[in-house]
Amino acid sequence: MNGYEILKFFSVQIVLIAVVLILHTYIGLHIIRRTLIFSDLVLDQFAAFGAMVGVALGIEYGTATSYLPALIAVLFGALLLGDKLCGGGTYVKKTLAGSMLWVTWPLVVVTAVTYIVLIIFHFLFRDKFISLVERPGTNPNERLWDFLLFTTQGIITVLIVPIAGVLLAYAFLMIPATIAALFTRRWLLAVFVGWLIGFLACVSGVCASYFLNLPYGPTLVLSLGICFVFAVLIRCFRRQPA
Amino acid sequence: MLEIVEILGLPFLACVLMAVVLGYFGIHVLKREVIFVDISLAQIAAVASILAHIIFKSHNDSLTVYILAVGFIVFISAFYALVRKKITQISLEAIIGVTYAVAAATALFLVGVAPGGHIHVQHMLAGTLLWINASEIIWITIVFSAICLCVFLCRKPLHAVTQDYQEKLEIGLYKTLWWDFIFYVLLGTVIISAVKIAGIVVVFAYLIIPAAISFLFARQTTSQLFIIWVAAILASIGGLLFSYYLDFSVAPSIAALLGVELILAAIAKKMFINTS
Repeated sequence: MNGYEILKFFSVQIVLIAVVLILHTYIGLHIIRRTLIFSDLVLDQFAAFGAMVGVALGIEYGTATSYLPALIAVLFGALLLGDKLCGGGTYVKKTLAGSMLWVTWPLVVVTAVTYIVLIIFHFLFRDKFISLVERPGTNPNERLWDFLLFTTQGIITVLIVPIAGVLLAYAFLMIPATIAALFTRRWLLAVFVGWLIGFLACVSGVCASYFLNLPYGPTLVLSLGICFVFAVLIRCFRRQPA
Repeated sequence: MLEIVEILGLPFLACVLMAVVLGYFGIHVLKREVIFVDISLAQIAAVASILAHIIFKSHNDSLTVYILAVGFIVFISAFYALVRKKITQISLEAIIGVTYAVAAATALFLVGVAPGGHIHVQHMLAGTLLWINASEIIWITIVFSAICLCVFLCRKPLHAVTQDYQEKLEIGLYKTLWWDFIFYVLLGTVIISAVKIAGIVVVFAYLIIPAAISFLFARQTTSQLFIIWVAAILASIGGLLFSYYLDFSVAPSIAALLGVELILAAIAKKMFINTS
């Protein structure tokens, strides 16, 4: 790889991570504060299953078309089908580990535009969404806003899982938000703290993966995991306010 | 018929053992609202097994693997017990969920740097239930019996810590932290043995789904246990026959049938039992 290619590789990864982490941290805060820890893994697993259906139908893994089967994946059971696919084990591993290393600019642009639209939508209606957590039962259209929140989670899951894999997608959503929630209840500050820590951890992970030739997705999750362990230990041993 | 018994007899025995022990722990796990804990503990045990394979070149069934896995479980149990007491900002389930993701990533990381590692990932997910032999059955019978004895002897404090944790902490129940730790160690030890034969998915299914079904219909522990064991054994028989006749993997078939049972139980509860 020459200098230009290295720059291109890092810029694609870092732009994608920077955009993705904003919305994931925010939605993650909703998930953690409402104790819906499982919801994302369920959606991730269905999206991963959908991608496997796509492979079975001959659609190339990780392309824009492969998003479509993920949307209808809720109809089937992932493991049973994976068992019947030719070389299913490889795809099970791929859906866990992802293929973010091979992401291209067109895919980054599609993902980034969708994320930016969703971020604007959530910013405009932030009071409605935050009231679901802070003041449950006070919003007259609670079901509608709940539905919109989970739809957002579903869309970002379908977008990110074929690129990043189940584990990294889950880590993007949960770890920065968990770290932030340990230290503040203020939403804007929590999104900023979560995003910053998540971004720094992921960039360190990308560098470690590239320069030390380590597996990409797991290295990023482990990098986030190290920050999480430090945050928990600091919280455990820091004096609680009276 | 004889052929079916010959092929599926030992896997069925293993299923019954798992149904009995995991079913009981399922009641605690649901009451504590730590649904992720078994997946997390199983994943940590799997990391230990991969590490033992890489560092000591140990075989999957060796004592080294087992000791390392128990060591990891003891460490993480202490972590969970400490976090449950010290962290109030977020639920323990969130911490467990993140621990699971980090452990799963560690497993993938290790298999990524060690050759031929993807086989471990496949085993972690699906297990090798169909190929269980008599010596493995004897081993898990011994381990599960020892765990059952410990659970029986410690049933009162374990129940108290599961039922009224905050209350016990507030009145300063001595050793609350300790009993919490003991609970996770016992559960973890069961999970190490179960995951080795059945894989993460089916162990999770045996732990959570029958207990969830029992919670729909009963409040007494004895009635819950009866429902759990019946549901788990029926799904085991159905899953084994389904996989035998339709050539699917055993573990996912059992897990899928347990899922079907839960859906049917929820429908039955809605249609036939007045909840008011």
